[in-house]
Amino acid sequence: MFTNHIKLGLRKFKKNTGFFFLNITGLSIGLAAVISIGIWIYDEVSFNKMFPDHERIARVMQTQTFAGQKQTKENQPLQLAPVLRDEYGSFFEAVATSTFGTDIPVKFGETKVIGHGSFAEASIIQILKPDLLSGSKDALNDPSSILLSESLAKSIFGDENPVGKQIKLMSSLEVLVGGVYKDLPDNSDFQSWKFIAPWRLLAENQQYEERLGWGNSWFQTFVKTAEGTSMARISDQIKNIKRERYEDHDEAEMFLFPADKWHLYSEFENGENVGGAIEYVRIFAIIGLFILLLACINFINLSTAHAMKRAKEIGIRKTLGSGRKQLIQQFFTESILLVLLSFVIAIGISFLTLPFLNEITGKSLQFPWLELWFWISGILLVFITGILASAYPAAYLSGFNPIETLKGKLKTRDGSGAMRKGLVVFQFSISILLIIGTLVVTNQINFVKDRPVNYDQELLVSIPINSSKVIKNFQGLRQQLLASPAISNVAASDVKISNTQITNGGFNWKGKDPNMNDSFYTLRATYDFGKMVNWNIVEGRDFSREFRSDSTAILINETAVEYMGLDNPVGEYVQWGNNGNFKIIGVVKDMVTRSPFDPVDPAIFVLHYGGFLNFVNIEISSAGQLETAITHAQKTFTSFDPEGVFSYSFMDEDYKKNFVAEMRTAKLIGTFSGFAILISCLGVLGLSIYMAEQRRKEIGVRKVLGASVFSIWQLLTGQFMILLLAAFVLAAPVSYFLAKEWLHKFAYKTSFEPWILLIAAGLILMIMLFTLSYQTLKSAMSNPIKAIRTE
Amino acid sequence: MLTLDHIYKWVNNGGRRVFLLNDLNLKVEQGEFLSIMGPSGSGKSTLLNVIAMLDEFDEGEYYFDGEAIHELKPKKRTAIFNENIGFIFQAYHLLDDLTVYENIETPLLYKKVNRSERQSRVADMLDRFNIVGKKDLFPHQLSGGQQQLVGIARALIINPKLILADEPTGNLNSKQSEEIMELFAELNKEGTTIIQATHSESNAAYGTRTIHLLDGSIVKN
Repeated sequence: MFTNHIKLGLRKFKKNTGFFFLNITGLSIGLAAVISIGIWIYDEVSFNKMFPDHERIARVMQTQTFAGQKQTKENQPLQLAPVLRDEYGSFFEAVATSTFGTDIPVKFGETKVIGHGSFAEASIIQILKPDLLSGSKDALNDPSSILLSESLAKSIFGDENPVGKQIKLMSSLEVLVGGVYKDLPDNSDFQSWKFIAPWRLLAENQQYEERLGWGNSWFQTFVKTAEGTSMARISDQIKNIKRERYEDHDEAEMFLFPADKWHLYSEFENGENVGGAIEYVRIFAIIGLFILLLACINFINLSTAHAMKRAKEIGIRKTLGSGRKQLIQQFFTESILLVLLSFVIAIGISFLTLPFLNEITGKSLQFPWLELWFWISGILLVFITGILASAYPAAYLSGFNPIETLKGKLKTRDGSGAMRKGLVVFQFSISILLIIGTLVVTNQINFVKDRPVNYDQELLVSIPINSSKVIKNFQGLRQQLLASPAISNVAASDVKISNTQITNGGFNWKGKDPNMNDSFYTLRATYDFGKMVNWNIVEGRDFSREFRSDSTAILINETAVEYMGLDNPVGEYVQWGNNGNFKIIGVVKDMVTRSPFDPVDPAIFVLHYGGFLNFVNIEISSAGQLETAITHAQKTFTSFDPEGVFSYSFMDEDYKKNFVAEMRTAKLIGTFSGFAILISCLGVLGLSIYMAEQRRKEIGVRKVLGASVFSIWQLLTGQFMILLLAAFVLAAPVSYFLAKEWLHKFAYKTSFEPWILLIAAGLILMIMLFTLSYQTLKSAMSNPIKAIRTE
Repeated sequence: MLTLDHIYKWVNNGGRRVFLLNDLNLKVEQGEFLSIMGPSGSGKSTLLNVIAMLDEFDEGEYYFDGEAIHELKPKKRTAIFNENIGFIFQAYHLLDDLTVYENIETPLLYKKVNRSERQSRVADMLDRFNIVGKKDLFPHQLSGGQQQLVGIARALIINPKLILADEPTGNLNSKQSEEIMELFAELNKEGTTIIQATHSESNAAYGTRTIHLLDGSIVKN
C-alpha cells in the first residue's frame, strides 16, 4: 500500500508539473531558510559548550553600585582567586585568574607576529582542558614557559616543532614554548586565545602584587566548581567576599556566572540578568517558524485549490472501498514525499549559501554533514512540515461525499475558499511585518550611524605601543614622525577615542554626595590630542603647553558636569584618590566614544605622559598621503622599538566595530524577510493561476460581452488587493507595537515614522502586482472563444 | 439477500419537501438479476446509492444479509459495502493516474490482500476479460467499451455477492452494450446477484426481473 502511495505520488508530480514545481520551490526555499537559521541557532546555543564539563565552568562576576546605579561586570581583583582557593576550596575543582585577551607582539628569530591571548594561572588548564598536541599541559607551572595554539605555532614556526624553542613576548619577556594545543573552539569565548602565558611572568614583570589591591578589578577569575555543588549556592556563599575585605566598595556582590550563559545572557540591568543575544535567537527562531508556516500555507492553498481536480478520484476511491483513513494516509505520503524532495534541495541551497551566511553573521559555520542532531532534527522537520502542510488538505479532501463528487456537484464556494483567503491574509501580514521590521531596524541603524560623534575620525590612525621605549622617547618619536609632511599631528593616549573602555572611581569634589559611589570613563592623553580629534571646548580651555600647571588639570564632558552637579565647573577642583588634586580647566562637548546606541557617560580627560599610554595616534595630512604617512610611521617606530611589531588601525573603522553586531542583525533580518516574501509570491502566483483557470469560462463570456483587457485585469487583481489591504490593516498596528518594543532598549533612537508604513505598503503592493501580472494578463489577453468552446 | 422496507428519502427545496424515494419496498433474492427502469429523475440512481450504502435515507428499514443497515454506524456500513458490493458506473470512473492493472488492483489494496494473491487475482481477471495486453495502458488510451470492461473487472475483483450497475452501457454503442450485457448474464449464471439501472428495454430484458420506478416509488414489479 505504502509503496503504491509513493509510486502514485511520483506519477502525480509528473503529471502536474506546475503544481509540483511551485510547491517544491516554495518548500525548498522555506526549508533552506529554516536549515540555515537552525545551523546559526545551534551555533549560538552551543556556544561555550564544547568544553568538557562546561556546565561546571563559570566566571566570577561582581555587581557594584555607582551613583545609585547597579553595574554588573566580570572584572575582578587579583586577590579574589587566592581567597576562593584557600577559604572556599571545597566548592571548586579549579580557580584561575587571567588577564583579558590582548594582542601582543611575539618574536622568534626574525619572525615577528601579533598574537592574541592571555596570561593565566596554570589551573586554567584544568578548567578549559585544551587538547594538547605536543608538550606538557603542566607547562604553565613554570613561569618561563608558554602554551601556543596550533594556528599561532604554525604562523611562527611553520612546520618546525615549536616545543622547547625560545620566543620573546612584548619585546622583553623571554619564554620557552612548553606545549601546543588545538585551537579552542570557534564558538566559544576563548576562541581568540591563541596563547596562554604564565600568570606569574606578567605579574612579576608588572609588579601587580605590589601595586594592585581589591580596588583594582583588572582581571577575570574563572572557576570550575566541584562535582555535586550548585552554582547558586556557591554564589550565595561568596557574595560578600569583597565587601568583607575592601571597605570602599562595601556594596560589591560577587556571584558565579555559568559559562553556558555567557554568550546568550550577557546583559545585566540593575544587578539582574536581562538576557542578551538570546533575544536574537528567539527572533530568528520565530522568523524561521514563520517562513516554514508560509511555505506550508502555500502547500495548503495549492492543494485545496487543486482539490476540484482530485474530487473525482476521491469519490471513486471511496466507492472502491477506501476508508477516510487510507485517503488521509495517501495524501500524507504524497506530501511527505514532496517535503522530502524539497528537504534534499533545501540542504543543497543551504550548503551553497553557507559562505554568504558566514559573511553576514561573521561566523565560520560548517555544514553539519556528520552531526547526529542535524539529521534527527532534519527528519523531525520533514515530518512536522509534512503534517503541517497536509493535515488540513487531507482532512478536507478526504471528507468529500463520494456521490456528490462523482456527479460533479461538489460546491466550489465552500469553506476552503474562506480558509484560503484567511491564509493568504496571514501570509501577506507576515510579509508586511517583516518588511516593516527590516525598515525599522535599518532606519535605526542608519540613524545611529549618522549620530554626530562631535569629534573627527577621518585620517586618524592609532598605532599600539608595544614597548616602554616608545613612551620614554615619546618626544623624540613625535618630532621624527612630524618630520614627514604627510603627518600633521601626533598625540598618545591610553585608549582609542573610538572605544574608551576604562572607568575609574574614587573622585571627590565640592558638593559631592558622600554616599555617591562615582564612576567616570577616563581618557589619558598627551598635549595636542584634543586638537587632533578636534573636540569641542564649550567652556574654559584645552590643555596647553603654555600652562605648566596643566599637569594637574583635567577636562570633563557635559554629562560629567551634570553628573557632578556643578554649576560653574571651570575652576573647580577634583580630588582623585591618591593621584592628586586636579583643576577643571574646561568642558568638552559630549562625544560618542563607544557604541553609538548607548548614552554618553560622564568622562574625565587627563593630561598624561606616563606608563599608561597605549597608543600613538597620528593625523594624516590628506588622503593622498596615506601610504607615505604609514611607511614613514613604520620606519620611525622600528627605529625606536626594533623588537616590536608595527601595526595600526584607522579610527573610523575602529568606531564602526562598535555597531557591527547590529548591522549583521539588520542584514540577517533583511535576508530572511526576502525569503519570506519570495515564498508568499510563489503562493500568490499559484493561487492566481488556479483562480484564473476556475474563472476561465467567465472571463471568456465577459470578453465576448465586450470587457476590456484592463477590466479583466482589474477583476482578477482586485480580489488579491482586498486581501492585501486586510493584511496591511492587521500588520500595521502589530508592527508598530513590536517596533516600539525593540527601539525601547536603545538610548539613542529614531521614532517609528509613518513613511515606513507607506514604503512597506508600496513595496508589497508592487511586488504583488508584479507577481499577479503574469497570470492575469495572460488570462485577460487570451482568446475568449477557446475558453467558451471547451465546455 | 436484501430488503428495503418503507424507505423514504427527501430533500427540502424552498421549504417544500421533494421525495427522491417515496415509501419504497423492495426485496432482492440471492441470484437475481434485477433491472430497474424508469425515466430520468425517477430515483433509479438514488435507489442504487442507497442499496450501496453510499447515500443515506431518511426513513424506513434496510436489511442486507440479515443485518439492519439503518441501525449501523457509517464505518460498519462501509465495511459491509467493501466486503459484498461491486459498483459499476455509467461514466466508468476509472482512476486516470492508474494503469489498467492498477485500477483493477486498487480494491484489493484497500482490503489489504497480500501481494502474491493480488497478482494472481488481477491476472485471472485480465485473462477473463481478454485485456492482458492492455494492462499497462492508462484509461485515456482505451475505448469506452474497454474502459467499462476494466470497470467491471475492478468491481468483480473482490468477488462481490452483489453487483450494482448504474446505466453501465449508457455511454456505449449497441454492440459494446450487448457484449457487456452478455457478460452480466454470464456472471449472473455463475451466481452473482446483479442490480442494474437502465433506460433500455433490451438491456432490461437480460434481467430475471424488472421493476419500474416513477417519482421514487415502484410502479410496476
